[in-house]
Amino acid sequence: MNNDLRIKIAEMVKRSGEGHLPSSYSIVDIIDFLYGKVLKYNPKKPDWEDRDYFILSKGHGCGGFYVVLHKYGFITDQDIQDYSTITGVLGGHPDMTIVPGAEASTGSLGHGFPTSMGIALGLKIKNMDNKVFALLGDGECHEGTIWESANVAANLKLGSLCAIIDWNKSGAQLMPIDDLPAKWKSFGWEVHEIDGHSEEEMANCFGKLNFEKVGVPKVIIAHTIKGKGVSFIEGHGPWHHKIPSELEMNQIVNELSK
Amino acid sequence: MKKIRQEFADTLLEVGEVDNDFVVMVGDISHGILQPFAKKFPGRYYNIGICEPTIVNMAAGLSKLNITPVVHTIAPFITERSYEQIKLDFGYQNLPINIVSVGGAFDYAQLGCSHHCYTDVSLICHFKRGTVVIPGSCMEFNILFKESYKNGLINYYRIPEFPHGIEISREKIKFGEGVLISEGSDVTIVTTGTQLKNAVEAAEALKKDGISVEILYYHTIKPFDGELLRKSLSKTKHLLCVEELSAHDGLFNLCLRNSYEIDGIKYKQMAIEDFVHGYGTYEELCEKIGLNSNGIINKVKTFIK
Repeated sequence: MNNDLRIKIAEMVKRSGEGHLPSSYSIVDIIDFLYGKVLKYNPKKPDWEDRDYFILSKGHGCGGFYVVLHKYGFITDQDIQDYSTITGVLGGHPDMTIVPGAEASTGSLGHGFPTSMGIALGLKIKNMDNKVFALLGDGECHEGTIWESANVAANLKLGSLCAIIDWNKSGAQLMPIDDLPAKWKSFGWEVHEIDGHSEEEMANCFGKLNFEKVGVPKVIIAHTIKGKGVSFIEGHGPWHHKIPSELEMNQIVNELSK
Repeated sequence: MKKIRQEFADTLLEVGEVDNDFVVMVGDISHGILQPFAKKFPGRYYNIGICEPTIVNMAAGLSKLNITPVVHTIAPFITERSYEQIKLDFGYQNLPINIVSVGGAFDYAQLGCSHHCYTDVSLICHFKRGTVVIPGSCMEFNILFKESYKNGLINYYRIPEFPHGIEISREKIKFGEGVLISEGSDVTIVTTGTQLKNAVEAAEALKKDGISVEILYYHTIKPFDGELLRKSLSKTKHLLCVEELSAHDGLFNLCLRNSYEIDGIKYKQMAIEDFVHGYGTYEELCEKIGLNSNGIINKVKTFIK
């Protein structure tokens, strides 16, 4: 649980009046784990040829992405301070042309994942060993391009590709019959399930993944809680795109400081 | 006559010999004619499947790795259906792509309106980094593709099913430059693609009636050669635009934007107003909406007496 990062996200959102707090809170532990324990990268040279690729396909969760990019040296204090302002580079969805470390300009759901598949294909063509991780929302899995890509990636045997599904049950509000593990398995993917807030489970899962240039693509279905960490934000309700008041901000900080 | 689509396959084979860094992805069309490329360059040709938006998305991933993507399928599916992918993944993200289509306008006449596409050209023109080529002959495709496919932009090549059949000398074919087909003094006909054939036929007939037609042919729609147009209209003061594009935003729009500062120009347009229902041949659908030589002759006579 990265409560310090969650406070930082809340401060950004509160300061600018923009952001998706619950969506960021459900993924920030996963992104922090990836940058802390899994990915190869060089924050001083974000386009380093040998880096692993991380694509935040559910772009509205970018608060959880920005604070991790900041923690690991891609972006500055000032960038965080200027979040969602005319002078800043960080906005309500990431823009890869101006955010160091952002590999795709996402926001419209269903784009980042197929792009990550194109990257995996390109790496295969170039015979390179880099890995590709794409973080998707379960609601995003309503998009047709996700399943087009699930088909194509399995068919092309893109073994360097790993999708991570933030299964915070947003999608189930609309489509209760939502057996994601079975669906991905039926598309020919290697399926893993974890608690997306447990560092131990993430370590066990990522540690045993076997990446190959030509092989079965992998999907990690992460059980998460939307708004994780703050009692009154958790779940599905008005907080999806809500900005905290002064009082609520104090309550958020208090809960996350315990 | 050799099909321009075949020339596309032949040109890829030619370019593949000297360029290792481009990859072709198709949406289950032209699979047969691209087999020589596929066999000669293993790992650089993919028949991805019938999932056009995803193919465009994937091309962005290749572009990020400095692999030049060439994506190819039927015009409505790769442009209209996949427009958000082109807009965001290549426009917003500043990445290069080459989109090669067949089936523009109603080239797939007998398949019906589901396979028609009138807005493809204008959609790509909306991008500052967009370029649009309608190669009306094999030579044009070969020259223009080789000249532009590595320029780092969003390149769209709309391959007509039927070459225009008009001989144009090789040195006149340059990316971004219009071609003066014939000089005249009464009216300027601006056209593109297969319609050049009808324009030339109409001009010959009109000459017998004492009407002198200047024909400007645009294989490159964007960047648009406005200078050629202005020079012609300063002389003729009459413009007829003949295009197999949407009447609401096509070549005529470009002509207006590039000539409105010249006083006293009279304008006429022949284009596609709406869905062209019916299952005839390409020529029959042209006739149905007046896009043939007789239609051009009649239209010219409405403003040149």
